[in-house]
Amino acid sequence: MKSLFTKGFCVTLLALWAQLGAAQVNPATIKSRLQGTILDARTKQPLAGAVLKIKGTTHAVSADQDGKFTFNTGQAFPYTLQVSYIGYIQQETVVNGTPVTIFLEESQVQLSDIVVTGYSTQQRKYIASSISSVSGKIVQDQPSGGFNQLLQGKTTGVQVSSNSGVPGGGITFRVRGNNSINASVDPLYIIDGVFVSNADPITAGLGNQQASNPIADLNPSDIENIQILKDANATAIYGSLGANGVVIVTTKRGKRNTNARINFNTIQGWSAAVDKYDVANGPDVARLTNESRINTAIDNGIDPSTITLPFPNPESLPTYDRISGLFLTAKTSNYELSTQGGTDKSTYYISLGYLNQESIVKPSDYTRYAGRLNYDNFLNDKLKVGTSLNFTRSERNLSGSDNSPTGVINSALFPRSYLPIFNEDGTFARYGSFDNHLALIENLDNKAVGWRTIGNIYGEYSFLPELKLRSSWSIDNSSEYDNSYSNTLISAGIANRGSASSSENKNLVLTNEQVLTYIKTFGENKQHNLNALVGNTINTVLNEGTSATGTGFAANSLRSVAVAATRSGSSFRSSSKLLSFFSKVSYTYKNKYIIDGSIRADGSSKFGANKRWGYFPSGGVAWLVGEEAFIKNLNVFDELKLRASIGLSGNQNGIGAYAAQGLWSSGANYLEQPGIAPTQLANPDLTWETTRQFNLGAEFGILKNKLSIVADYYNKYTYDLLLNVPVPYRSGFASYLQNYGAVRNKGYELGINSTNIQTENFSWTTNFNVSFNKNKIEKLASDISLGASGRNISILKQGYAVNSFQLYKQLSVDPQTGNAVYDDVNNDGIITSADRQIVGNALPDYTGGLTNNITYKGLDFSFFFYFQKGNKIMNMNDFFMVHGGTQANIGFLPRQLERWQQPGDVTDIPRLTTYSGNPTANGGAANNYGGNVASLSSRYLEDGSFLRLKTLTLGYTFPTVVSRKIGMNKLRIYAQGTNLLTFTKYGGLDPEVSSQSNNQNTAGYDWATVPQPRTFQVGASVTF
Amino acid sequence: MTLQHIKTTLFLGIVLLSITSCKKFLEETPNNALPTETAITDAGTARAAIIGAYDRLQEYYAASYPTLGTITTDNVVFNGTLSQYLQLDQNAIPTDNVITVAAYQGIYRAINSANSVIAYVPAVNDPTLSNAEKDRILGEAYFIRALSYFDLARGWGGVQIQLEPTTSLDGLKGIKRSTLDQTYDQVLADLVRAEALLPEDATTRNRAQKSTVFALRARLHLYREQWADAENYATQVINNPKFALVKPYNAFFTAPFQSTESVLELAFSPNDRNAFWNLWYPSSAGGQYTLKPSEALVNKLNDPLVGGSRKSLLAGTGNTVYGVLYNTAGTSTDPAYLIRISELYLIRAEARAHLGKLTEAAAELNTIRLRAEVPPTQASTQAALLLAIEAENAVEFAFEAHRWFDLTRTGRAEAVLGLSNRNFWLFPLPLSDVQSDPDLTQNPGY
Repeated sequence: MKSLFTKGFCVTLLALWAQLGAAQVNPATIKSRLQGTILDARTKQPLAGAVLKIKGTTHAVSADQDGKFTFNTGQAFPYTLQVSYIGYIQQETVVNGTPVTIFLEESQVQLSDIVVTGYSTQQRKYIASSISSVSGKIVQDQPSGGFNQLLQGKTTGVQVSSNSGVPGGGITFRVRGNNSINASVDPLYIIDGVFVSNADPITAGLGNQQASNPIADLNPSDIENIQILKDANATAIYGSLGANGVVIVTTKRGKRNTNARINFNTIQGWSAAVDKYDVANGPDVARLTNESRINTAIDNGIDPSTITLPFPNPESLPTYDRISGLFLTAKTSNYELSTQGGTDKSTYYISLGYLNQESIVKPSDYTRYAGRLNYDNFLNDKLKVGTSLNFTRSERNLSGSDNSPTGVINSALFPRSYLPIFNEDGTFARYGSFDNHLALIENLDNKAVGWRTIGNIYGEYSFLPELKLRSSWSIDNSSEYDNSYSNTLISAGIANRGSASSSENKNLVLTNEQVLTYIKTFGENKQHNLNALVGNTINTVLNEGTSATGTGFAANSLRSVAVAATRSGSSFRSSSKLLSFFSKVSYTYKNKYIIDGSIRADGSSKFGANKRWGYFPSGGVAWLVGEEAFIKNLNVFDELKLRASIGLSGNQNGIGAYAAQGLWSSGANYLEQPGIAPTQLANPDLTWETTRQFNLGAEFGILKNKLSIVADYYNKYTYDLLLNVPVPYRSGFASYLQNYGAVRNKGYELGINSTNIQTENFSWTTNFNVSFNKNKIEKLASDISLGASGRNISILKQGYAVNSFQLYKQLSVDPQTGNAVYDDVNNDGIITSADRQIVGNALPDYTGGLTNNITYKGLDFSFFFYFQKGNKIMNMNDFFMVHGGTQANIGFLPRQLERWQQPGDVTDIPRLTTYSGNPTANGGAANNYGGNVASLSSRYLEDGSFLRLKTLTLGYTFPTVVSRKIGMNKLRIYAQGTNLLTFTKYGGLDPEVSSQSNNQNTAGYDWATVPQPRTFQVGASVTF
Repeated sequence: MTLQHIKTTLFLGIVLLSITSCKKFLEETPNNALPTETAITDAGTARAAIIGAYDRLQEYYAASYPTLGTITTDNVVFNGTLSQYLQLDQNAIPTDNVITVAAYQGIYRAINSANSVIAYVPAVNDPTLSNAEKDRILGEAYFIRALSYFDLARGWGGVQIQLEPTTSLDGLKGIKRSTLDQTYDQVLADLVRAEALLPEDATTRNRAQKSTVFALRARLHLYREQWADAENYATQVINNPKFALVKPYNAFFTAPFQSTESVLELAFSPNDRNAFWNLWYPSSAGGQYTLKPSEALVNKLNDPLVGGSRKSLLAGTGNTVYGVLYNTAGTSTDPAYLIRISELYLIRAEARAHLGKLTEAAAELNTIRLRAEVPPTQASTQAALLLAIEAENAVEFAFEAHRWFDLTRTGRAEAVLGLSNRNFWLFPLPLSDVQSDPDLTQNPGY
């Protein structure tokens, strides 16, 4: 790889410098000097950074801070000047003397936006693809710690949610549904041209929860805009990487000829739990336990009066409150300092950011230090070089929960409430499998420190005004250094007298890329418009890590693995490569008819030698119907566009680097001698998982574009799934990775932007979007059951959606006997595992958001609702704590009090018992909580739909005259509330939850997880 | 040719050069694994492959197999949160129970390793691999395969017999389940071959030797109720001076292990850990406490007339009594106890009781009781002796993979455990196998 990377570098550099030498410009004789100002036509505010050039030439200057410019040129007056500025209508003016004042009209419609598409930028109007855009302005107005919060509910076709309330923690990010089963379903993230690694580098045990997300390392304030490529026509150019959608993040850059601007932002926030866990008190736990014991005796045919009750006097039992020790009011602090500006030759954007966020459940927190440098230099008219560099250091204090019984929440929630927190001698008390939550909060020492560099250096050379070569070298280098120490005061360190682990994981992604772009408008009335490109990329991913563990420490203050009595180490390495060639052509006729097509060829080292290369074509057409006379004559539509596209994209992420090879692994050691053993069957035919997507879209604007609507229909069919097909265990293997199976996602999306009122002082805009997606596994070798620590509550089954839940469907609790009656699926009269059935899934039918922005003079007010409907949540807290007495070491939730007690009681919580005889009987006592059903009852599966007031923001921008007086250009202060209101039927703490998020196929569990907090924050933004 | 042309040619030339190196560029190999084709080729890899087969034995014997032999009985109860253990405790085992699946899968992994050694090692031509060593490696592989099929047969009944290493899925087709007898016959055939190939020395207890083969044969014959053979092979092991009962009882499970008690004991080390203790210890001692000695067993072990010195299997008081057979909480180096010499005494006692040699049978039993510091047995009839031997097995091997298999092979699971449905005396075959393997039929009742 290294050699090829070097080779690519040399070639391109050579080409660039060779051209540079040939293209030196002779200093032109100045024939005219034009001075002037460029202003917004409506607000009369200067437009810093607006670009001017003489029509037909490449020499351009841009306006400074006050909108002023000076333009020296070899041409004499008069000449035609082209003035453009992003978000404004380009203007052509004939100038015949200096000075001039030029007014630019703001373009009302998003159809004219410039959109960053695969490897090029295009006007939104002329794109035949489905692309969502989110402006970075949201970031300035509604700041939050993470990029993911910015995207949730803001646009169509993406489902974004946090998996827990832990800051910096895992997120779920899906573009148009889950495409795959064993390969990755995460989108490709591209930040300033860098393909960013999706890997979660944190290895510390956190139960089954993702500890981080790939975009947490990005400071949201640096974002200029985000584009989400959704349909095949947009993503196919990314070929093998684009099947799950592409998220392109562009960060801020300076503008030419602008004075330095310094911006300072700060946020201070306070978060608290909306609801806290409620557990049964001591006397209730005792009563329920007694009742269970009595019922069990009856079931066993024993006279209940002869048994000894475990709690002869339940009233006397105390109640110890563990829950309140768990939560705190968490503080968030954020400070950002940035500067941007530019000269005639160069532009810069430099920022520094600091964020510290505590979790509302002790003791986790998240700190991020982020620095960014974006620099562009226009060496001459033809050559531009630049860089985007992002450095981030993240520090996390981690704390495990969900399926780890020694997690903090588990240790507070599950123990029985009559049991004291401390032993009589003052030491921490522990029960059953659980640790002591206070011991954990005080002693957990689990630090993950990440260093991440995302950087890019590029050179762009214009051979001709229409022909451009861009070459870029990118790096995403992350290094994660995790250290944990379990001292002798917590369960994990008791037996071994302290245990420490230290690991360093490195993830390096190198990408080299060349793109040659040709853009030409020609013909009569410029009716032909051609936009073509050809390019290649070379991509290498290298994962390496080393870890050491040690046990046995002389004292708790000694935490280094080096001084442990027993030490051991481990390491890993994997490397994969991807080589790609691509081309794309887009042709527009008469600014009305658009046709485009692209093709990409990818070769991956992960696949079998026979089938390494995949080819991914796509094509699209669009018709700007609104430009046709017969539509214009209707006087209804200001814009109307219809588009259709179809194409293929591939997926290879998420499978092992050596997945196609037959392997014997080393490390199967015994008696301190090295051993080897077969671990993987060869599949020389392993190849790409392919997604075929069809998309139909319509965009239109009415009422002078005050109402604009985008609607899309798509149908995605993913086939040749990279599937771990279960094989008979007698082969000595558990599964075999092969191309088998298919998944379909189809759905509708609707986005509405409305400018309700727009006057000089008052404006009110509304954005509404909703996305429907239906997922279905079309073909699968056999059912795959998984999830919930071996309880196999999740299932993948042909004909059903991924993330389905399989449980015993509880029909009723018999009012006479109090025993649960289940659906006997095969009607054989008994309850066996054959009677488990799919009773719902974790995927919402639809998700969406509603945003309203209202401004009056300097005041701004906005509120944002997010909603999702139709998803189910498996409430594992109920599963464990409504156990009918079968869990001797676990307390009860108040829901257990609703159990059946006497004939006639109507409830869905069956009679308490631990009877285990006759485990197949339907309506028998054994299956209430144990037996074959073993509590895997649909009574613990709940509706997870919710509507939530996510944010509400009130801000005030001081008038310029006031802020100037105190030496500032702009001053805004604001207050914001997050998660203020939630409407849901879900009985757990928080419906936005996914505890088992380490595996994409086990979504929708709530299991001792930190809930989303309610946050109140105040902030100020100052520009000097 | 202009300068421009030269540049263009140069550029294209280098691009082409890069493309021709594509094929090589896309080849990647791991640094921690060997390609299947070249896995066993010389002395080093032949040795490593048999070590790998032992590693596979370790995998299923460290925790899952002993769990199956204990929590399913009256000795151990479920005390944790994980329902797979509750299912075993209640003998209501679904077909996807994680522990049975892990054990079943682990056993076949060991078989595949052993099959590979048996298939490839004979062809290794390396002067540094002597014939004697080759024989030893092959003998160990036959033993491991025998043990694996034996463990499958007593848990799941007659199983599908795989005798070739799996290199592709095509070779799997058409192999149906054999009967229990056929499976035991395969075990016997492998033991006979192992006996011919294996050496014997005075110290090795952590790898298979001739005496290990005899011990497993004694057990096999006992299970097949071939009393004379069982007596004969047990005697061959008992008479070997390499083995002797240790005293006190807890000496065999106290570091440094590998006591004269052990006929086969898989060793673990700080680099090769066995954290089975974690399932037995309470959280106040750093464990999970999922497996808890039953009240009945605690009473037996604490009874000086029943448990005697075997009460050292317990620690803790009151509601937190826990089992300490696996006790290296600090280092996780507990061995897996596969065959102890005391088992051979009890096999011979049972065989002799069946053969009508009641006095000798009682004497064998008393050897074990004496070591445990309990008085000699009062049993004198055949029936009483057999019950006494069963009761002795229950406390002697309280936390080892014994009780369940003893009760099911003797048909006593109903009387002792109340498990009247005989279908549940066999574990279910894994759900995913039943689904993915057309040649497999599920055990009745599941």
